Amino acid sequence: MSKETVIRFLPLVILLAPLFSAVIIMVFTHRFRRLSSGLSIGTVALSFAASVFLFVSLNTDPGGSTNYFNWLSIGHTSQNATFLNTLDFDFSLQNDPLSRLMLLVVTLIGTLVHVFSLVYMREDGGYSRYFGALSFFMFSMLGIVLSANLVMMFIFWELVGVSSYLLISHWFEKPKAADAGKKAFITNRIGDVGFLIGILFIWATLGTVNIEAFTFEIDKLDEIGSEEWTSVATIAGLLIFCGAIGKSAQFPLHVWLPDAMEGPTPVSALIHAATMVAAGVYMICRVFALFTPEALEIIAWTGAITALLAAIIAVQQDDIKKILAYSTLSQLGYMVMAVGCAGPAASMFHLTTHAAFKALLFLGAGAVIYACHHEQNIWRLGNLKNKMGWTSRTFIIGALALAGFPFLSGFYSKDAILMQAYDHRMPLFIIGIFVAFLTAFYMTRCIVVTFLGKTRSDHAKEAEEVPGEMITPLVILAVLSIGLGWDFLGLSGFTEGYSQWKINAVDNATAHYAAMIGSTIAVAIGLIAGWKIYRNADQDPLPKMLMGADVLIRKGFKFDEFYAFLNKWTQEKLSYAADWFDRWAIAGFGVKGTSGAVDITGCLLRQLQTGNIQTYVLLTVIGLLLILTLILF
Amino acid sequence: MMAVLLALVPRENRSIFRFGSIVATLGSLLLAIYVFDKFDDRLDEARGEVTFIEAAPLETQYGYVFTQRSNWIESLGVSFHVGVDGIGVVMVLMAALVSFAAACCAREIQTREKEFYILLLLMSGGILGAFMSIDLFLMYFLHELALIPTFIMIGVWGRGKDKGFAAYKITIYLSIGALLTLAGLIMVYLQFNTFSLVEILHATTFEDAIDHSLQHFIFGLLFLGLGILVGLWPFHTWAPLGYGAAPTATAMMHAGVIKKFGLFMLIKFALPVLHEGAQIWLPILACLCLGNILYCGLVAMRQKNLNLIIGNSSVAHMGFVFLGIASATLIGLTGAVMVMVAHGLLAGLAFGLSGYLHHQTRTLDMDKVQGLLTGMPFWGTLMIMALMAGCGLPGFANFAGEITVFFGAWKSYPIITGIAVWSALVIGAVYMLRTIRTLLHGIKGHDTPETEDIAKWQRLPYALLITVLLLFGFYPRLIADKINQSEATFKQAASAQSEKSR
Repeated sequence: MSKETVIRFLPLVILLAPLFSAVIIMVFTHRFRRLSSGLSIGTVALSFAASVFLFVSLNTDPGGSTNYFNWLSIGHTSQNATFLNTLDFDFSLQNDPLSRLMLLVVTLIGTLVHVFSLVYMREDGGYSRYFGALSFFMFSMLGIVLSANLVMMFIFWELVGVSSYLLISHWFEKPKAADAGKKAFITNRIGDVGFLIGILFIWATLGTVNIEAFTFEIDKLDEIGSEEWTSVATIAGLLIFCGAIGKSAQFPLHVWLPDAMEGPTPVSALIHAATMVAAGVYMICRVFALFTPEALEIIAWTGAITALLAAIIAVQQDDIKKILAYSTLSQLGYMVMAVGCAGPAASMFHLTTHAAFKALLFLGAGAVIYACHHEQNIWRLGNLKNKMGWTSRTFIIGALALAGFPFLSGFYSKDAILMQAYDHRMPLFIIGIFVAFLTAFYMTRCIVVTFLGKTRSDHAKEAEEVPGEMITPLVILAVLSIGLGWDFLGLSGFTEGYSQWKINAVDNATAHYAAMIGSTIAVAIGLIAGWKIYRNADQDPLPKMLMGADVLIRKGFKFDEFYAFLNKWTQEKLSYAADWFDRWAIAGFGVKGTSGAVDITGCLLRQLQTGNIQTYVLLTVIGLLLILTLILF
Repeated sequence: MMAVLLALVPRENRSIFRFGSIVATLGSLLLAIYVFDKFDDRLDEARGEVTFIEAAPLETQYGYVFTQRSNWIESLGVSFHVGVDGIGVVMVLMAALVSFAAACCAREIQTREKEFYILLLLMSGGILGAFMSIDLFLMYFLHELALIPTFIMIGVWGRGKDKGFAAYKITIYLSIGALLTLAGLIMVYLQFNTFSLVEILHATTFEDAIDHSLQHFIFGLLFLGLGILVGLWPFHTWAPLGYGAAPTATAMMHAGVIKKFGLFMLIKFALPVLHEGAQIWLPILACLCLGNILYCGLVAMRQKNLNLIIGNSSVAHMGFVFLGIASATLIGLTGAVMVMVAHGLLAGLAFGLSGYLHHQTRTLDMDKVQGLLTGMPFWGTLMIMALMAGCGLPGFANFAGEITVFFGAWKSYPIITGIAVWSALVIGAVYMLRTIRTLLHGIKGHDTPETEDIAKWQRLPYALLITVLLLFGFYPRLIADKINQSEATFKQAASAQSEKSR
């Protein structure tokens, strides 16, 4: 087999291996725990190996999209092919540098999380089901990464939604977990409405859903300045962006992500930190050509608002997973903001580094939770550094990388984003700097309270270091969190060099220094403030300083309550009205009306059947006359 | 067609009746698969025999194969004329699958089994025949043959205290629907003096074959009549009630298969023949279909009884088919047929599963039956899959059909399509997930009766239905290509739209 053939079929292998595992586990091996987990890990490792191969061979083969088979085609069997329109969806996979980078991220984190889960989920009754769902998730996620057209992407998009649903409500007997899964799925679906309508828009105006094809088409239309396209371009782009708002949990659809923490912690690491939520960012990078300047403006502000809002909320969370969840939201906001500031390359760079350190943080939190008998409140932990050395060390590295401590990976990628913001939209740069300060602050709070200080509960007292299967992924991720941003790896401008984004890289020394100095100062202030306030604290001193605002922050600005209220007064009421109408108006009146009409007709007809022969004769004659009249005239 | 004969003939003795009907439906299923498989070959063969498509027999022009003809009522020109075209072949396959599953799932019937199974086979044979008829009178007659057992079955073997009312209501509604359809049919007959669908189609290829105002009127009649048969809003209230009271097998057959007849006739007969008359009705249909999709979805959100949820959602799904028909484009119509097939399988599966539960618990009230997944993993998993398919999850045939309908309808009705997308994705998800949450997830309720999972060999019909749903969902070309063979019919139907936009 030549190398070209291998490269042509590797994406298929990467995609289908996890599906194979998911199907086999569901149908055959769900009774055999070891077999199921082994199969699941084996296939994800295979995908990882194939992704590495693809990534390494980038130098010799820049790749493109490959068409495997036609999924649905309507109107092509026609002998008269011109009549009306035709529909044509191919199953084709995109195999360019952007998707190869993403493949590497997804399969790497995926493999580590699988290994971590081996021990973490050991006691669980639904062990096989868990690994089956994990494999299914890998399949759907890789599908999004590899899709070369929007319909395929939408399909995998939905599948990711459902696998996330299955994994969040893995412990379905727990009411909270079951509710959280439901909420995540429905919130995602709201975003998907926009996505699908956006796809319809694009198909109707550009005539194709293939990403490469319509990018080309848009270039052409831009040159000739097509009225038809410019009139819908902004709205179509924003509709597509709706999909990303749902999946990447951007404001105002961010409410599902904190709740999703009810799922098993490795799942949070994989899905709700590193991969699935990043899919939205990846998607808008992939269709970047679609966005007009107006659309980008809105995208940038959405990202900035999310980043700010979530960072503020994270300051007042007590659950270790919730802190990380809100910080994920905030970082996703950063990435979206970067795309809005015409910097998809910076966004992808941050996505990559973030995947490493956030997965590390979540797995670290998982290790803490595992060791402390599912205690998640940081105020009931404390002083874990002496008992869980490796976990604390790696967690601290992750936290510093997230905070943007100089020379760790987060520092570089955050700088890249701030640079974009400085160059394009000044207010966003200021928000970005402030968020960097908040990030440093809440991460310091989290570390100091959890790992330093005094032991505050029995669970924390009994904590022991976790087994080696769990430590290994942590160490690998810690190494990556430190080094991923270093220049010699070339990840910072990696995607920029290859892709068709028609943008100019920021080459502005002022922006560079402003970003670097600004963020370093912000981070330093955050770290010091966090250290000062929480060093000796036994309970959170901040609520006193905030004078009442803390309740609002703690509750996430009451978005949940607001939506519940909104839903109660719109959809619920509508549904109530419809149900009432159905019961009484249509069913009641309609049917009663019909039977009433039948009764009345019956009465009338009874009048006719008098039993009087003369009446009958008379009626017959009238009838005959009527018929005769009709025939004759 | 052998299937008709096979399904109509059986009158076995009482003791082996259940077994006999399973074998009979299995036989027609195997034949249907054979026909499905050989369909393309036969069509190519038939088309290959002639040099010009215009010179071919009319059946071939309209994509019919496996045709058979013998005279029946000569004075009226009615003949026993059957064959399958692209739409028919997928509908027949679906009907045969659901019939087989329904026969398997009829275990709950303990009294008067003989009559029940005879009626069931009558339904199955009738509707299979209706999907294969080329003669309109035969089509109508066979449909009636399949419809009437529904009423009897609900009345005699139905469940719940208001089964009498349900049977009464469904009879009134559907009889009126059928009557209006018959009136429309006769009026068309009077124009051409023939009941042969292909001849009428051929005669109406050209414009002005029938006077316009007459066309408007006839299409109105058929639209109303067939609409009632399918449960077009606001004539849908018989459906959830009827399915709630119907025995399992009846609900599966009627919701899955027989209800599709109205749509089948709209697509194959009313729209292509009366394409000029349809123009003023299609926008109305598009608005009414929102009644199905949106309104019935909202109603479903508030139901507590599992069968009422499935029933309402099944009415809501008909809205997508109506939307596809209203678009009158090749894409929309193909999508409509795909949804018909997918929903047939899904309704069969969902009612089959709920029937299994009812057989055990004697109630489907979700206040009383909760947290079942732990105790019944196989049943629960299938139920989750069925509900997910119902809210349009990719991978199931329903999604393929629905998205095709959306693409077809987008250009004519962007706003209605937008609302339909909202209801498909969000409202559907709300009530389906709510069902999963209360019925399956969570801890087992206090009042929940003890239940057992489906025994090994009884899993077959359910597994079969879900497999086919997945198969068509993963590779929708399997059905889309077949449906597209009826292109001549679609083309004529689509002229309703193109003329409007002109």
